Formats: sequence, structure tokens, C-alpha cells
Amino acid sequence: MTELLASIEASPFSTWLRESPSVWAYPTVLTLHTLGLGVLVGANWMVDLRVLGFARAIPLGVLARAFPIMWAGFWLNAATGALLFVADPTKATTTIFMWKLAIIAVGVALILLLKSKAYGRGVEMDRATAGVKAIAALSLAAWIAAIATGRWMAYVA
Amino acid sequence: MTRAIVVYLKSTAISHAMSMSPFLWPICEMLHFIGLALLIGGAGLMDLRLMGAFKSIPVSAVMQVRKWAALGVAINVVTGTLFFVGAPDQYINNPAWYGKLLFLLVAMINVAVFETTQGKKMLNVAGGEDTPVSFKVAGAVSMGSWFLVLYFGRMLPFLGNAF
Repeated sequence: MTELLASIEASPFSTWLRESPSVWAYPTVLTLHTLGLGVLVGANWMVDLRVLGFARAIPLGVLARAFPIMWAGFWLNAATGALLFVADPTKATTTIFMWKLAIIAVGVALILLLKSKAYGRGVEMDRATAGVKAIAALSLAAWIAAIATGRWMAYVA
Repeated sequence: MTRAIVVYLKSTAISHAMSMSPFLWPICEMLHFIGLALLIGGAGLMDLRLMGAFKSIPVSAVMQVRKWAALGVAINVVTGTLFFVGAPDQYINNPAWYGKLLFLLVAMINVAVFETTQGKKMLNVAGGEDTPVSFKVAGAVSMGSWFLVLYFGRMLPFLGNAF
């Protein structure tokens, strides 16, 4: 495992991503990763907050269209996250990175759950059930934890 | 002048706390990114509706998410000020920081002008109705300038003196 990570780190692409003075290398990847975070979490939080009872004038059904926006943010960050991994694979051995990945998996599972529970019946209710509200509250918290662990990686690795 | 400001800020208790505590700076970074997501979520939805997307939501209804964008901005102005006071010399000569402040100003002026001149008109755009050109321009300027605030923020360590 360590050997594999070392060979990734020694590859020309990894070296370019990490050391190139070009703004198209590390800085652009990092900027897109931040943008993807904002789009994914921002769109998810707006739906979560609406489900929890804020901004009631917005019909819950319309917010089904926020889900493709979340997925766009997710895939942007899966791609840029993979590039950041290639640039600095030793970070992947830290415990905090494992926590971050696990928390993101929970956050993504909650998106799928929210979509199927709040929108799965064909007819959208304007008042969410207690169960759907619990999913939204967990989703809100999961992304706070994902952001916290992601930021923390900058200080431990 | 800038030297005097830097020296003064670094002598404050807040600056000492920010630079000496092992936790304060990372916690402010976490809050800064939480604020960023709230801002993109709230302002992004509002801007999209102003630009003509999500037409089935009345503009008066989508206006309710503005408070989440405002909360995000408030969190980030406070934490951003703490970063500046904590390490003023990392920002004061940093071109990326001035780019960030410039587009923050553009975003704020855009909101202020739009709300004061078009604020009442917003209440009249019902669900299913398209928005006038002035709304589309304001939404696009908002989205573009907030993206540039994020871009120059992320470029702080790369365009200027790294930290």
C-alpha cells in the first residue's frame, strides 16, 4: 500500500499537480474543489432547511430540481478530490482523511434517502413527516462534520 | 501607513489569540467554509431564480432564502476579519486579497442597488413568470462576483505571499 502510494507520488502527473507553478495545476484543482463543496452542500442545505420548516413559501416539490445540482457538485468534487489524492497520496494514510471519506459516504447516503423518502411517492407533501425531518437534520450535521474534517486535514497532514 | 496598521493589529489581544492558539485559526477556517456553503446555497438559489431558472417558485417565496445567504456572509465577514487581524502581513501586500475585497464590494453594491431599485418589483413576479432583464443582470453579476470572491480567496496562498 505504501509502495503504491509512493509510486503515485513519484509519477510525473503527481509531481506536476503538486509542484508546477502554473495556476492550472494545484490552485485550480483546489478552487474547483471548494466550488463543488459550496454547490453540493449549499444546495443540500437549502432542501434540508425547507424540509425542516424554514422558507415555507417555497413549494417542497420544486426543490426536487436541486438534486441534480447536488450531484453536479458531488461529481466535481469526486474528480477534483481524486486529483488532490494523486497530488499528495500520503494524506490518504491519515485517520482524519478516513473520517472525512466515511462522513461523506453518510452525507451521500442521506441525499439518496431524502430523495426517495420526500419525493419518492410521486406526490410531494408540503409538510415533511418527522422521519424525513430527521434525515434533513442529520444531513445538515453530516456536511458540517465533512467540512470540519476536510479543513482539519490542512493542519495535521 | 500599512506598516503601522500591521504593527498595531499584531499588538492586539485578538491577534495574539489567533496566532498562538492551535485551535482558533482552524475553527475559524471551518466556520468560514460553512459560511461559504450557506452563501452559495442561499445566494445561488436566489440568483438562479432572478436569472429565470426555477420559474415555478414565485420570486417573493424564493426571497426567503436570502437570510441564509446573509448569515453566510455575516459568518465570513467575522471570521475573515479575525484572519486579517491574526496575520495582517499575509494579506496587506497580497494581490489576491485585494481582488477578493474588490469583488466582495461589487457583490454588496449589486445587492444594495438591486434591492433599493427593484425590491418592490420582486414581490410581483409570480410562480411560472419570467423575470425582467434587470433581474437577470443582477442575478448574473451576483453569481459572477461571488465566484470571484471564492476564486481570489482560494488564490491567497498562490498569487501572493504563501502561508
